[in-house]
Amino acid sequence: MATQAPARTCGPQNDLFAELDAFIAGQGPGRDALIPVLHKAQELFGFLPIDVQRHVADALGVPVSEVLGVVTFYHYFSMQPRGRHTVNVCLGTACYVRGAKKVVEALCGELGVRLGETTADRRFSLTSQRCFGACGLAPVIMIDENVHGRVTPKKVPGILAQYE
Amino acid sequence: MKTVRTQILLCAGGSCISSGMESVRSGLERELERHGLASEVEIIATGCMGMCQIGPMAIVYPEGVFYQKLTPDDAAEIVEEHLLKGRVVERLLYKRATTGELVEAISNIDFFKLQEKIALRNCGSIDPEDIREYIAADGYEALGRVLSSMTPEQVVAEVKASGLRGRGGAGFPTGLKWQFTAAEKAEPKYVVCNGDEGDPGAFMDRSILEGDPHSIIEAMAICGYAVGAHQGYVYVRAEYPLAIRRLAKAIEQAREYGLLGQDLFGSGFAFDLEIRMGAGAFVCGEETALMHSIEGRRGEPRPKPPFPAQQGLFGKPTVLNNVETFANIPTIILEGAETFAKLGTEKSRGTKVFALAGDVVNSGLVEVPMGISLGSVVFDIGGGIPNNKAFKAVQIGGPSGGCIPKEYLNTPITYESLPELGAIMGSGGLIVMNEDTCMVDLARYFLEFITEESCGKCTPCRVGTRIMLELVTKICRGRGTMEDLRKLEELAPQIAKTSLCGLGQTAPNPVLSTLRYFREEYLEHIQEHRCRAGVCTDLMWAPCTNACPASVNVPAYMAYVSQGRYEDALRIHLKANPFPSVCGRVCPQWCIKKCRRGDLEGPLAVRLVKRFMGDQARDYDDLYPAKEAANGHRVAVIGSGPAGLTAAYYLVLMGYGVTVFERQAEAGGMLRYAIPDYRLPRAYVDKEIDGLVKLGVEIRTGVEIGRDITIPQLEEQGYEAFYVASGCGREIRPNIPGVDLPGVYTGIEFLDRAAKGEKLPVGRDVLVIGGGDSAIDASRIARRMGARNVTILYRRTRSEMPTNPIEIREAEVEGNKVEFLANIDAIRQQDGRLEVSIVRMRLGPFDKTGRRRPEPMPAAGEARLVDAVILAIGQQSDADALVDTTGGLEATSWHGVQADPKTGRTTRPNVFAGGDLVIGAATVVEAIQAGQIGAKAIDQMLRPAPRRQYLWEQLDPPEIVPDLDADVEAIDPTREPLLRPEERLISVEVERTITAAEAMREACRCLRCDYKG
Amino acid sequence: MKSLDELRKIRDQVRKDLELRGGQHRAKVVVCMGTCGIAAGARETMKAILDTLEAEKVTDVAVVAAGCQGFCEQEPLVEIHLRDAAPVRYGHVDAEKAARIVREHILGGHTVDELVFG
Repeated sequence: MATQAPARTCGPQNDLFAELDAFIAGQGPGRDALIPVLHKAQELFGFLPIDVQRHVADALGVPVSEVLGVVTFYHYFSMQPRGRHTVNVCLGTACYVRGAKKVVEALCGELGVRLGETTADRRFSLTSQRCFGACGLAPVIMIDENVHGRVTPKKVPGILAQYE
Repeated sequence: MKTVRTQILLCAGGSCISSGMESVRSGLERELERHGLASEVEIIATGCMGMCQIGPMAIVYPEGVFYQKLTPDDAAEIVEEHLLKGRVVERLLYKRATTGELVEAISNIDFFKLQEKIALRNCGSIDPEDIREYIAADGYEALGRVLSSMTPEQVVAEVKASGLRGRGGAGFPTGLKWQFTAAEKAEPKYVVCNGDEGDPGAFMDRSILEGDPHSIIEAMAICGYAVGAHQGYVYVRAEYPLAIRRLAKAIEQAREYGLLGQDLFGSGFAFDLEIRMGAGAFVCGEETALMHSIEGRRGEPRPKPPFPAQQGLFGKPTVLNNVETFANIPTIILEGAETFAKLGTEKSRGTKVFALAGDVVNSGLVEVPMGISLGSVVFDIGGGIPNNKAFKAVQIGGPSGGCIPKEYLNTPITYESLPELGAIMGSGGLIVMNEDTCMVDLARYFLEFITEESCGKCTPCRVGTRIMLELVTKICRGRGTMEDLRKLEELAPQIAKTSLCGLGQTAPNPVLSTLRYFREEYLEHIQEHRCRAGVCTDLMWAPCTNACPASVNVPAYMAYVSQGRYEDALRIHLKANPFPSVCGRVCPQWCIKKCRRGDLEGPLAVRLVKRFMGDQARDYDDLYPAKEAANGHRVAVIGSGPAGLTAAYYLVLMGYGVTVFERQAEAGGMLRYAIPDYRLPRAYVDKEIDGLVKLGVEIRTGVEIGRDITIPQLEEQGYEAFYVASGCGREIRPNIPGVDLPGVYTGIEFLDRAAKGEKLPVGRDVLVIGGGDSAIDASRIARRMGARNVTILYRRTRSEMPTNPIEIREAEVEGNKVEFLANIDAIRQQDGRLEVSIVRMRLGPFDKTGRRRPEPMPAAGEARLVDAVILAIGQQSDADALVDTTGGLEATSWHGVQADPKTGRTTRPNVFAGGDLVIGAATVVEAIQAGQIGAKAIDQMLRPAPRRQYLWEQLDPPEIVPDLDADVEAIDPTREPLLRPEERLISVEVERTITAAEAMREACRCLRCDYKG
Repeated sequence: MKSLDELRKIRDQVRKDLELRGGQHRAKVVVCMGTCGIAAGARETMKAILDTLEAEKVTDVAVVAAGCQGFCEQEPLVEIHLRDAAPVRYGHVDAEKAARIVREHILGGHTVDELVFG
């Protein structure tokens, strides 16, 4: 894996693992806690490096191969580090019909990255998804948990400027 | 004509009269008198403008300002502010749908009126974060009643009796599902709510979870009681953080209130819920995949049986329903199954929530009774298509569904009717698409979606959809072959048949359904390398050129005009279209509908620039493309309209000897004998036809083929090929009494005689029947012949008139009235005048063109006395004699010649046909396209070696590199350089030519979409 | 929850609390705050309503954050309920319009006609 795993020795990382363990302890027994735990881990670490997956596997008593299988199956989980903000472009049908393609072009131009990449300064990761269910406001982008509606290429720089 | 400087059109429809139009009129008259404007301003009462909710209303011309909801008190302000000071009275303005609220207010009435809210009953009215508000709206009452007074069997029976079917897609009867699970002995059992709303375009589940989460909790507890489950899971997709948060809060509150947990309502029944968050996998909407995901596994589906009712979550009996399905349950219990079952149709009971999105005015969520027509949802509730675009199709049911084109707008929406059309109800995503959507690209989009979302477990889905995507992508890039299309059609049913789960089984649907309804678009991409919607960029020079039937290289001539190089500009134009001055006056401008500048402040005024450019040259003698050496072949062209002349033009340029035969005394066809000279002065027709004659086109007038001479006789004279483009110049006469009375004219006959300089005795009152160009033209000519009251009756409404809105406006400015939703059913003679019986119409169901069909109202018609009636209801051809004398040709039902409009081929190998004769009355630029096709077909027949490219297919980049930083101010795109009405009798032409400075500046606005860097 | 009667008692009590006539509130303001509403700026709208009410020292108006009414095109969407009157819906309500609606409609008693839809 090209990505660097967080070093366990450093203080804040240990805190994160402790927090994850506390979350795991609050779950009921059995492997069905796996996906909620991975959500929590990604929330804490920002992504799911192999070290974290191994930790989760140990804690839940699930083979690490199965954890990896689950992580790679779902789009939501990432093994690559993310930017501070995730810019998610909706490519659902309504957005597509209303010009999401042009919005993607504008975002790529503005950020200098392609879909699925992160800017060099780690400020933004650019991804796409299928339908946020805000079709009435198409085209739509979601930055972190904020939905921006009726986006046009012209509005893109202004929207990005709201995120440091 | 009086020297009137302004007209005020007052709507005198019945509704405006009853809302006080007459007192507004007298108020205006009084104020005009008071300010001494009575002679300058004319008040005209028009027929119903069709927007009765906002009457009384008025349009003030020449500006065309639309005032609404007028009272007599407003009259003074209109006269003083608008007429005296030239300031528009903002307060009274009618606001456009896109910017103001008013039009929306009208559609909103329908938006709410046609809805029936069950699943969405509380959405938007209660605070979803306060359980008390839900309780106040009868929340948990159903659960309480079920637990206190019903047995589980009774609950199942009630749900069965309601006829509720799964709202998530497949439509399986909900009660039956519950019954199967209840019958299982294994323990524990589970209740699962599917909130993995993955279909792009569907968002009703999100709305319910966000707006009314307790309804789901209550319904799942009821379900748990009915089937014997004590634990439930709500699976919500991770993309819905707000829904998850609100649902979590609702669950907490329900526990606090003892509505989840042990011993609910003292019944001893226990039930609790957990949320499981999805992680972004479309396939998890499939029930077995979803359950794997809850178990903490990869969300891969498994074969069924066993069904979830037997072996579901953790291998135990499980009921799995969608969010919307559950949201109906409390109402069914409270109101009773019977009440619910009254809504909808026999097999599809209750309501369905649709997410209306895409190219529709009112996008949003609507809940309607099952069985409502698709058209009603799109047009009555959705408010139709914004920006004057045409409706093309809806995609219903997401990537597993299909598209439904305009021919089926009357289809009732039910579980049964949609599959017949190749679509499915699905989760209720309803994406409206306008003419700008390419159906091949749409299929490609859904395939791309499916290949990304295919879980990879089974081969047909994983590999098959990828191959389909490759084939469709190839077609979108213009590299597809007919063999690719065949493979696509072979593969699709195989994937559908052999895939493991619903995702793969339905994956080919978008391809199958676009092929079913829009096969010609696939063929255009493959055979003509053309994308009519202008979406597939690999097939386009520039959007405008792509949209132009004649494929004129618009960006190139704009580039030259912007630098004042008019001759170079004309050279470009003449490669694709020999009629710049004519088209500069009459072209309906297909190009500007696709103009990318239109996304900014407005599209280019292409026609005005073209007109200016054309008028810069006295003749084009030195500007035509170079002529090839004579090849000795002779071709006859029948008909000298724009189609015939265009074919002759290209054939002469390619070295053929061409003779054009024309029935009339002069050449030009519709250009000369139908389009009135105030729009197209004859001097420009003469100029452009003379140019063709000088180039070598021989024209013989006064010769009718089939009567004076026949095609076989011409063959004997040495003509080897024939292009028939004799148009569509015979009016269809309605089948009603009195059409042959004196004073009754057909539109074409009237225009023809007027063009020949005849002054017809139209009298004072004239009635024109029809809504097309010839109706409008005839009305304006009748006025020029001295008629005082000219009224056009059109059976549909203003927005459906098939003519340019500017022409309608100009007709009104000149004083003509248009009455909509009106027709005639008899004409009688009465004291030397004509008594016309008028029938009022109303709009009924949708017809094949996607418009509502007008039908007569039952009320008795009214009689009106007039001096002349002009019937301009439609045209047909007159080629029977030609067909009869030629042999091997076949006639169409409208007396035209049967031919393939794409190739010009008829049933006789050396005869080709095109233009109005083949496709029915159309525009000049379409006739030019037909002429190109005809010339190509004849060249291909007579020439031994194939030609690589035809003149109009050669799109040369101009020598001018665009200045991409230039920021040019637009000339007001709404501004039309028109003469004022009183000037129009002096000058023949109603429109002015723009100035050189205006033309150059306008041309600079071109974004040069042709420029590839 | 031990019985249906207990539920109904809560229901009746809440209904009474929410009732405008004779109740503690003279008006109710519903702001649609589904994902679409929030994306269109409903948070700012909500804030402006609360701020305006506070500035005007009004305490007897109930402000409710509700879900989506389905009319996404019109978001942010605000519904005003006054005693003895049918609710009035306003569309595209930004902060400025919200303040105006509070002052003119709730406090002044006049519907702001040009902002109304439906």
